[in-house]
Amino acid sequence: MTLNGIEQIILFLVVMLVFVKPLGWYMARVYEGKSCGISWLVKPLENATYRICAINPTKDMDWKAYLSAMLIFNLFGLLAVYVIQRMQGYLPFNPQTFSAVAPDLAFNTAVSFASNTSWQAYSGETTLSYFTQMTAITVQCFLSSATGMSLLIAFIRGLTRRETKDLGNFWVDTVRGTLYILLPLSFIIAVVLASQGVIQNFKPYQKIDLIQPIHYQLSPAEQATQVGTKSQFKTVTEQVIPMGPVASQIAIKQLGSDGGGFFNANSAHPFENPNAITNFIEMLALLLIPAAFCYTFGVMVNDRRQGWAILITMLLLFIPMVFATAIFEQQGNLAFAPLGIDQAPKHDLYPGGNMQGKETRFGIVNSALWTAITTATSNGSVNSTLDSYTPLGGLVPLWLMHLGEVVFGGVGSGLYGMLMLVIIAVFVAGLMVGRVPTYLGKKIEAYEMKMASFAVLLMPLVVLFCTAVASATHLGTDAIANPGAHGFTEILYAFTSMMNNNGSAFAGLHANTPFYNMLGGIVMLLGRYWIAIPVLAVAGSLARKKITPSNLGTLPTHTPLFIVFLIGVTIVLGALTFFPVLALGPIAEHLMSM
Amino acid sequence: MWQSLSKSVFLLTILVVIICGIYPFALWIIGQTVFPFQSNGSLLQDADGKVIGSQLIAQPFTKEEYFQPRPSAASYDASASASSALAASNYALRDRIARTLGPIAKYQNGKSVAPDLAKWFQQDTFQGKHHIVAQWATLHHSLVTAWVNADPLHAAYVDTWMKAHAAVVAHSQPKAADVAVVFFQNLSKKNPGKFPAAVSRTVNGKTDTTIELVGSGVDIQSIFFDMWRQDHPDVVLQDVPGDFVTTSGSGLDPHITLQNAEFQLDRVAAKWANNLKRNPADLKNAIEQILQKNAQAPFAGLAGEKFINVLEINLELHKRYGALS
Repeated sequence: MTLNGIEQIILFLVVMLVFVKPLGWYMARVYEGKSCGISWLVKPLENATYRICAINPTKDMDWKAYLSAMLIFNLFGLLAVYVIQRMQGYLPFNPQTFSAVAPDLAFNTAVSFASNTSWQAYSGETTLSYFTQMTAITVQCFLSSATGMSLLIAFIRGLTRRETKDLGNFWVDTVRGTLYILLPLSFIIAVVLASQGVIQNFKPYQKIDLIQPIHYQLSPAEQATQVGTKSQFKTVTEQVIPMGPVASQIAIKQLGSDGGGFFNANSAHPFENPNAITNFIEMLALLLIPAAFCYTFGVMVNDRRQGWAILITMLLLFIPMVFATAIFEQQGNLAFAPLGIDQAPKHDLYPGGNMQGKETRFGIVNSALWTAITTATSNGSVNSTLDSYTPLGGLVPLWLMHLGEVVFGGVGSGLYGMLMLVIIAVFVAGLMVGRVPTYLGKKIEAYEMKMASFAVLLMPLVVLFCTAVASATHLGTDAIANPGAHGFTEILYAFTSMMNNNGSAFAGLHANTPFYNMLGGIVMLLGRYWIAIPVLAVAGSLARKKITPSNLGTLPTHTPLFIVFLIGVTIVLGALTFFPVLALGPIAEHLMSM
Repeated sequence: MWQSLSKSVFLLTILVVIICGIYPFALWIIGQTVFPFQSNGSLLQDADGKVIGSQLIAQPFTKEEYFQPRPSAASYDASASASSALAASNYALRDRIARTLGPIAKYQNGKSVAPDLAKWFQQDTFQGKHHIVAQWATLHHSLVTAWVNADPLHAAYVDTWMKAHAAVVAHSQPKAADVAVVFFQNLSKKNPGKFPAAVSRTVNGKTDTTIELVGSGVDIQSIFFDMWRQDHPDVVLQDVPGDFVTTSGSGLDPHITLQNAEFQLDRVAAKWANNLKRNPADLKNAIEQILQKNAQAPFAGLAGEKFINVLEINLELHKRYGALS
């Protein structure tokens, strides 16, 4: 790696950490219902919303009521996305006159955006109208993120409240999360992005005349579709430039760990991510909320050390992975070396490395950093082609997802996933030293352990089962784009990404088939909602308990020792489960290409 | 339950109004008033006000007098962005790159590799074994099939061959692509040092393209460069910048690295010098200065290496030196 590359990564991490405390403090105030600076502007809107929807903001819910409100609200959102896609031909803001999306694809997309996955089996600029992009995709980017945040807050309340059933009000948490956190932040980010060249308009796609018209030979398939006089050659004289309300969607898709781009190429597309400044801001937006939530957690449990301990755990898992991707990609593609391709970096001239699938304006470092961030968080946006990464460079994002999206993870969902692992770590540590396992004064008992294990073990089970099914049937293997071990990795990556609600892909896989759309839809539902049930159940159970005052026999959960232990538990549970499949996929590919 | 349902309906409706009404339209107003250029796609206009491209989207340039953008997996179609998704380990990627390199490969001293490659091909020995084409066909079934499917003339040529070799083609009524490997193995043994390529002849103003067996040419340079290189691992070639041959993540990458631009500089300068009847060395210096002026590095060099916007540099060339006929 170049010195410049190392500097860039450090600069990014420092800027990101600067925002943790102020934003974390602000979010704690939002969810504790305190006034927070912009109340004069938002409060009237908030109150009006409660009035219209007949929401009583003072009425708390127990875990089952919270869960059912969440499920019903999300189900309704899912249906809305499905219906809008199926009806888009009749709806306004459709200058390209796109017709209805196919049922299996519409189902997959609806689940994908309701569950905060944004797995995209479609290509935005050729499938969805501006109306669909705004009312279905952008709205769900907000709402699925707000839902994840609400779940986390309910879980934290379970830890802090005592001898009660109440976990707060789902409607209030979701409304406040949207209006006070997601909307203002998105707005600021979107304005900056628009100033740098991310488009924001409602025009039809523009046609321009090329400066140099291009003659090229048609493929036989293209020749077969010709009407009238057949010709082997075609002259292209114009280029179609896509348009649309892009900035408003890109801001929230980065901020809300959603990741569903406006265009097929996602944040590699120059209109989504035109330069290094937008790239920096979009990366920052990815980590902003998940990182700051650690601090929010510390504030809400009234022991900030607990929040810092978790943030440090995440950073210690994350930083080595950033450097790993960057180093593997900087080494370049071994297969190119004999051909005489220059892959060595040159100061000021050339980034070197594996440039296949990467944009010049991001080079190696900003592509690798992005990839590590977007798979550590469950965002899944891409600014380079993951399928074209070197085998080990591509292993890193896969492995980060295999940890269960707890290293930062999705907004809200990452931290509650990590807290599930904390419960397991506390329990295991308690067994090892013969102490009663407690976390923040709450006894961890059989019920919590069962639920936590359930939440943690479901992911590997579903990922491995679906990968096995897809690898063993033609329905699965026909979609593979690259031969050998890499093809297997494509399938593994797809199910890992969908189950962890990440949404990035080894995009060569032709996943827009009824098999992948339907199975993938079910997997995404499981990954989001089936895990939400044990999380809220634990929250409900913890809320009912007394706080046991800590004594000499209590295991402190903010010490370096505990951090190391938590990292151990995360790696053993998340990553080692997947070692055999990784050996069949990227590791085999790497060894064969040496 | 029913209460939750009605709350969901109302809440979703209100949030849709806020998120799809107020939020994007407020942004739209700010964009159209404060940043109209950026919000509308950074479209560049010529002197007459006609839109000639977007600063952010690559246009295809193939002529020698232009700096050329990176190859595009989307054929530079900005309304269908795409990357190639070829794996680093996929031989198809290496083959695609080798084919780009073959016709332009040069030795360290600037001499073209092509004549040596043709000589090697005609001697018809790879890794000590005879029949290069047969070995190529045996090693890379998918490439051979792709050759047949790439051009109707190729398929027709194989069809004709099949009719003449009914004995070799035992298979019942095969398609041309099915026998591609056998076809090349057979052809290679009967015609050492030859490869079927499209040859165009103009007779009485009418151009006719047929497939003929040739011993040199662009097809051979591109298809067999990789094998030639494997037979000559020790010769030193001029290095080619990676971004000159690799496709980008969007297929619309508007930039090339400064290294890539420097690599293309000789070709561009020579073509303009020839046309303008100017001293090539002077013109090279002048264009080099334009490159340095246009090179940009993010955050004033803090984040990464310098690169060049291809459309802008080509427009600048036009501005300085006029249109090249």
